[in-house]
Amino acid sequence: MRPKTRVAMLCAGLLLSHQAAAADLPQRWVSAGGALSEWVSALGGESKLVGVDTTSQHPESMQALPSIGYQRSLSAEGILSLRPDILIGTEEMGPPPVLAQVKAAKVNVELFSAQPDLPTLEKNVTHLGQLLGAQEEAAQLLQTYQQQLQAQEVRVAQVQTTRKAPDVLLLVGHAGGKPLIAGKDTAADWLLQQAGGHNLATHTGYKPFSVESLASLDPEVLVFADRALTGEAAKTALFKENPILNSSRAAKAGRVMELDPTLLVGGLGPRLPAALRTLTDGFYPAKGGQ
Amino acid sequence: MTTLVRPRGLFIGLTLVCLLAIWLSLALGPVSLPLFDTLRAALRLIGVPLAPQGLEQAELILGQIRLPRTLLGLAVGGVLALSGVAMQGLFRNPLADPGLVGVSSGAALGAAIAIVGGSFFGGLPEWFGPYLLSVCAFLGGLGVTALVYRLGRRNGQTHVATMLLAGIALTALASSAVGLFTYLADDATLRTLTFWNLGSLNGASYARLWPLLIISIGVALWLPRRAKALNALLLGESEAGHLGINVERLKRELVFCTALGVGAAVAAAGMIGFVGLVVPHLVRLLAGPDHKVLLPASVLAGASLLLLADLVARLALAPAELPIGIVTAFIGAPFFLYLLLRGRA
Repeated sequence: MRPKTRVAMLCAGLLLSHQAAAADLPQRWVSAGGALSEWVSALGGESKLVGVDTTSQHPESMQALPSIGYQRSLSAEGILSLRPDILIGTEEMGPPPVLAQVKAAKVNVELFSAQPDLPTLEKNVTHLGQLLGAQEEAAQLLQTYQQQLQAQEVRVAQVQTTRKAPDVLLLVGHAGGKPLIAGKDTAADWLLQQAGGHNLATHTGYKPFSVESLASLDPEVLVFADRALTGEAAKTALFKENPILNSSRAAKAGRVMELDPTLLVGGLGPRLPAALRTLTDGFYPAKGGQ
Repeated sequence: MTTLVRPRGLFIGLTLVCLLAIWLSLALGPVSLPLFDTLRAALRLIGVPLAPQGLEQAELILGQIRLPRTLLGLAVGGVLALSGVAMQGLFRNPLADPGLVGVSSGAALGAAIAIVGGSFFGGLPEWFGPYLLSVCAFLGGLGVTALVYRLGRRNGQTHVATMLLAGIALTALASSAVGLFTYLADDATLRTLTFWNLGSLNGASYARLWPLLIISIGVALWLPRRAKALNALLLGESEAGHLGINVERLKRELVFCTALGVGAAVAAAGMIGFVGLVVPHLVRLLAGPDHKVLLPASVLAGASLLLLADLVARLALAPAELPIGIVTAFIGAPFFLYLLLRGRA
């Protein structure tokens, strides 16, 4: 074989293999996990999504995509009708027989862990980056994310050397009525801790509270996550439905904060650092500001 | 009571409706397959040697998704309706439903234990995990029914009225236990529990199907043999006894068949309300109270109703899916009301 031909063939070979690699990447994506969908979108893969589950609400353009229902009660045929190459979701995705049926139809089913810690997140985002052919973007995003969280940690540690962590309660409610209080072992508790707050609730999970125990806790800062209302309307509803809160230190000092409830499900999402920053701002207001 | 249709007409009609429902259930779904492909894939599934080219997808969807789902719908619908007839016959009250002997609430309790407490059963073998929910629901239904039956017995006799009250009490008790588990559940398990309580034929697989198919075929073959005895029971317990019916044995059989059938159906598909109560009622409005007609006709009607409801459940919001319990009540209740008002006029 002459050298020239060899070079030409090598070039052709490289070109082909490169094209093959690009074509091997899944093109039609279905995502069954809120945080995962957000990461796909952050990695520039939103145009590849052809369907999402009901927990994928951010960014708002997701809501225009076909809904495959709730991540735990997916339908095999429904997903297959979207002709996906890949289905991504957390270990909460199911039911298992449906996943088996989807797999049998030669759809790549990729499971990601929803554990809220950085090593898991790193693995997840790197893997998503590979699947999307966006390794560099993934590395970059992760780096920024880690820097932001580190800066957050440093900031909290610093401010706590001079100031006491405020007593906080986090209420999850629906239009203000019968809020559930976030206790230990919840994403909400983790969030409060990262933001430098001290969660007054000592139970585990999300539990409804009696008016009396609410009154006795008397938080310095109230954080509420409302599933139905946002902004001033949610705040008004909360205090109208639970007048006892009016007598808390938080209400008197006007230290009532809002949190997007979608941040509390499905593991660490790209919007987390910003949310933490806002919470810390509220927990440790600039001196002389009040 | 005058009947609207004669038994023969009813059977022909119901068989046709049922066949149509089966065909629709196999032919329609969120994935639209060409009719010709569906036909060829169906033929291949029953063993006709056709060339498999281009049929892979149709065969997969038909064989692995729609066929098990259709069979599940047939079995669940049939056995729920049949148990409804058995209970209405036993209590001699058209308002009775299989839930009265505690089988539904017992199954719900079993399911709640499995869903919420699943993580506490740490030492279970790997292969058993996916079946834990079904097994717990089945055993829960059977257990509570056995207890209700036991409470209704005194001096070798089963008192139907005592059994009814015991059923109500145990249902309340089981519901409060389910409530406790609901309180203990976290967000994710809570939603699983809620969805389970609305029932679904989604995710039917052959491994879960076989036990139900065997039980429901057994029940569907056994109960119609007792049609004469059930007819006699309509006259009253002592009257039936004078007619030579072993009433105690009949009651035992009815309760046992119901517990077994409904327990298996609920274990496979979750709670599906309305079918057991209204299908027998519907058939009775159409064809009169003779159990020789009522029992087999209810099987056909129940199976057809559930298949059609499932069709709505999987198509209405495609690619997402509605829980079937919502649909059965939504279709059935207005139709039932219509028949009721028409019957009165």
